[in-house]
Amino acid sequence: MALRVFGLNIVRSNRNLLKNAHKLSAPPSGYMAVAPFASEVTVQAAPAAVQKQKVSKAMRAYLKRANEHDEFMKTQHLEFQIGKRHLANMMGANAETFTQEDIDEAISYLFPSGLYDKKARPALKSPDVVFPARKAAEFDETGRPFHSMFYTGKPNFFQLLHDIVEETNKLADLEERLLRRGNKPDENQKLEMAGFQLLPKDQLELFLVESIADIEYSNFTKSMERLIASPYAYKSKSFIERFLKPLMDQSKQLEVPKPKIDEEGRQYITTYECLRKTARADVTVRFPGTGKISINGKDILYFEDENCKEQLLFPLQFSELLGKVDVEANVEGGGPSGQAGAIRWGIAMSLRSFVDQEMIESMRLAGLLTRDYRRRERKKFGQEGARRKYTWKKR
Amino acid sequence: MKMIRNRFGNLSRVSAQLQRHVQQMSTNAAAAPEEGAVINEFRTAVTNPGEHSALQVAKFYTIPAEQKKQIFAGGGLPKQYEQQIKTFTEACLMVRNPALELLQYIKATDLTKPVVRYVLYGENGTGKTLSMAHVLHYGALNDFLLVHVPWAPNWMKRPKEASNAAGQEGMIDLPFDAAAWLVHFKAQNSQLLQRLQLKTSKEYVWSKRESTPAGSSLIELVEHGIARIKYASETTAALIAELKQLSTAGQCKVMVAIDGFNAFFHPVTRIFSDNKQLVTPDRITLTQPFLDITNYDWTNGVCILSVDKIAMTEGHMDSHMPRYLLGQEGFEHLDPFVPVLVENYTDKEFHSYINYYLDRHWINKTPQGFEEQLKFMSNKNPYSLMQLVRAL
Amino acid sequence: MSFLSIIAGKTSKYSSLRLMSVYPTQYVEPIVQKDKQNEQKTELSKLYHVPIKAAVNKSSDTVFHDDTKEKMINYITKKGNSALARTLLSKTFELIKRTQTEHMNLAKGEKNAINTNAETLLKQAVENCRPLLQVTAIKRGGVTYQVPVPITTRRSYFLAMKWLLDAAREKERKVSLPEKLAWEILDAAHGQGRVVKRKDDLHRQCESNRAYAHYRWS
Repeated sequence: MALRVFGLNIVRSNRNLLKNAHKLSAPPSGYMAVAPFASEVTVQAAPAAVQKQKVSKAMRAYLKRANEHDEFMKTQHLEFQIGKRHLANMMGANAETFTQEDIDEAISYLFPSGLYDKKARPALKSPDVVFPARKAAEFDETGRPFHSMFYTGKPNFFQLLHDIVEETNKLADLEERLLRRGNKPDENQKLEMAGFQLLPKDQLELFLVESIADIEYSNFTKSMERLIASPYAYKSKSFIERFLKPLMDQSKQLEVPKPKIDEEGRQYITTYECLRKTARADVTVRFPGTGKISINGKDILYFEDENCKEQLLFPLQFSELLGKVDVEANVEGGGPSGQAGAIRWGIAMSLRSFVDQEMIESMRLAGLLTRDYRRRERKKFGQEGARRKYTWKKR
Repeated sequence: MKMIRNRFGNLSRVSAQLQRHVQQMSTNAAAAPEEGAVINEFRTAVTNPGEHSALQVAKFYTIPAEQKKQIFAGGGLPKQYEQQIKTFTEACLMVRNPALELLQYIKATDLTKPVVRYVLYGENGTGKTLSMAHVLHYGALNDFLLVHVPWAPNWMKRPKEASNAAGQEGMIDLPFDAAAWLVHFKAQNSQLLQRLQLKTSKEYVWSKRESTPAGSSLIELVEHGIARIKYASETTAALIAELKQLSTAGQCKVMVAIDGFNAFFHPVTRIFSDNKQLVTPDRITLTQPFLDITNYDWTNGVCILSVDKIAMTEGHMDSHMPRYLLGQEGFEHLDPFVPVLVENYTDKEFHSYINYYLDRHWINKTPQGFEEQLKFMSNKNPYSLMQLVRAL
Repeated sequence: MSFLSIIAGKTSKYSSLRLMSVYPTQYVEPIVQKDKQNEQKTELSKLYHVPIKAAVNKSSDTVFHDDTKEKMINYITKKGNSALARTLLSKTFELIKRTQTEHMNLAKGEKNAINTNAETLLKQAVENCRPLLQVTAIKRGGVTYQVPVPITTRRSYFLAMKWLLDAAREKERKVSLPEKLAWEILDAAHGQGRVVKRKDDLHRQCESNRAYAHYRWS
């Protein structure tokens, strides 16, 4: 939402900025944000001869709306720029190099909000992000649509499907030709699909500026998979890459903290904020140790449940450091199971520093290094519990 | 670690007369030397506790079946341990340091001096009762008269029947429990009593028609108590007074062993009086004689007591220390005493126990490193280890 | 089946339809046992970029854990009290071991032949009670027929364990569940007893109703 500072009518007092508004707005980052099919709605300059033609009422209304939206977006852009400059001024920073992150920081500093819903808190964002992208003019003043598939109602989507099929056919022809020559697809260049997934439905909708039904999305998925499965898919790499999304951020996995040295000369690592359900723990693992474990000062018999004790044993036994490290944990909150889970995660994360990369990967695959974010599901009205329904009585 | 089937190691068959400092196996079958070595790793052939020394720490010795029946028929070994004995078909005890310490003290006592009280204490499940059992076995083999209360809280918590005492006003009798204790006493000491021919010193009048004359043997006194349950508690009191006198006179040695002694000093019991009120332990006739005998006003004997967190648990017990569990009264009563700490297993003892379980086919799932895992999970606590190993 | 679940079933791992889970759909189940990880080494390299869910707090790779045991504990659990279920199952194992060691001590000949491993006995019992087919009620022309129908492995294991527990729960009040369950498991492991009989009855019923098998496809 563009920030109205001091209730001024900003357009009047800052007319000279109007021209620069366009150039100053920061280009939105990421290949997703730009909806290539949306652009500013512009009225095409019509040749003089056509101007005399009568424009229908519907057309006129449409043009009027388009104009209004244009104007509206221009004012919004202007306000955004002005707001940004004011903020930069307030923060004492350079207005030219004030990025979106700086804006967010400034607002959370100047206008702290205790509201739970992040979308309800004050924010200053570029109008392109705030207002959903609209399509460009789809037909000219005579009412003739530009896109050949306009009458499908979702021209961009179906154009996309056609493109996919075209690529697939191209690749099939290529394969046939190369087969006749006796060539095989190059194995080294094969598309790496391991860490990627296709664009989810909502992001595809953003991309196309159109809403799609579930069946249509599944059609898209199937055709894309067919394309990707083709042996020469690497030739259409640029086309396919537009629709791929990485699954996981690898960088965090590799940041293993270095152990520190304590007074006795032993290496140790402390993991803070180990959370599981409502339990909160911090765990220290010391390296040359004898397998001692202490939880809030007591030994492992702090937990009476055998299951909880087994959970503490699990990471140590998995990483084969069972009698070789000492563990000290402080835990509060939650119940026995939650506390045990918190300490288990803490131990696993701390052990990463004393173990080689292969073992870390092994631990990750065993699910030891993922923060278990599951919380208790709330009870819903009309049901007895979170999922349990009331007994169904026929009458 | 070889898991060799122990086909001939039923040491319970080795009679007590064969005890020597010999590290050889029984004569049942030809033992290959390596098998003999494995068995000796955690067993010892020395069945007389009097001969146990630091050499035998962490080793198992078997209690011969007849002796076990004689000493422990009325209790004294924990229930789960009894089950284990039944399954493993042998009564094996591990020689551990607290028991050895106690035995050393006992052997070195000057019996002409007043009685020394030893108090075994420790966390739950560390082996206090079994250490006491070890010492009891020694006492039985060395001509001590055993005054053994297997678990004092049983009288406070779950008496078979509580009735009003006939003689004393406001006191409560536990007839069946007293009678059961007398049976236990008789079973433990019948041989010794017959041999020593101990006589009562004064006459006991139970009612108008019944009395036990002075000079009758103790066995008769005991049998009277068993037969006439109504007077069982009074008989116990009488018996214990007699024993004190006799031992001070030098006619016999007495070993008093009471498990869960702090039950006598707990603020309440779980017994209701006639007006539906909870009774304190000092209003129970049975507490008096045992408090009496744990005084230091007699000689020629030894007193081994144990205090336990789980003895009486109305109000969760916070600490296992004797001063806390005994309270002001109990501490004053017992002061001065020798405390003996019973701790969790050492590494050697732990390893030995695992070997024993493997030998008896109790642990069947043995992937690599399972011992380490058990050590971690149980923190080398004997009771936890027993529980954990149930499911393996 | 709801529309969404049909789609969810048909979409592949490249797409991401939200299912009823806290984890986003990309997340994959963890492989907790080390031997299973070692078996599937080549496939695991594909998971390098895939996020993995956290391991459940009932599973672990220690000597105390076994898949069949875990399932059994889950089936014994009532009202979420799985700690109690776990103690009951360990008592059951204890009783099984006691019976078997007693037999072994009494046996004069082959002592090694008697199996004292309670876990393997449980697995064997479950294997012996597994049905190969099941009957479903199918209504054709106003008549409900009991039609034999194939069964998935998972369901067959579930049925085996459920029958064991049902048999164990039909007892007098004084007999405790661990005792009864131990007897049932031992019986089933040796191919005798009520549960194996129940499985055989089911097989017999399937055999006798072979004629109706075509009703599956009407």
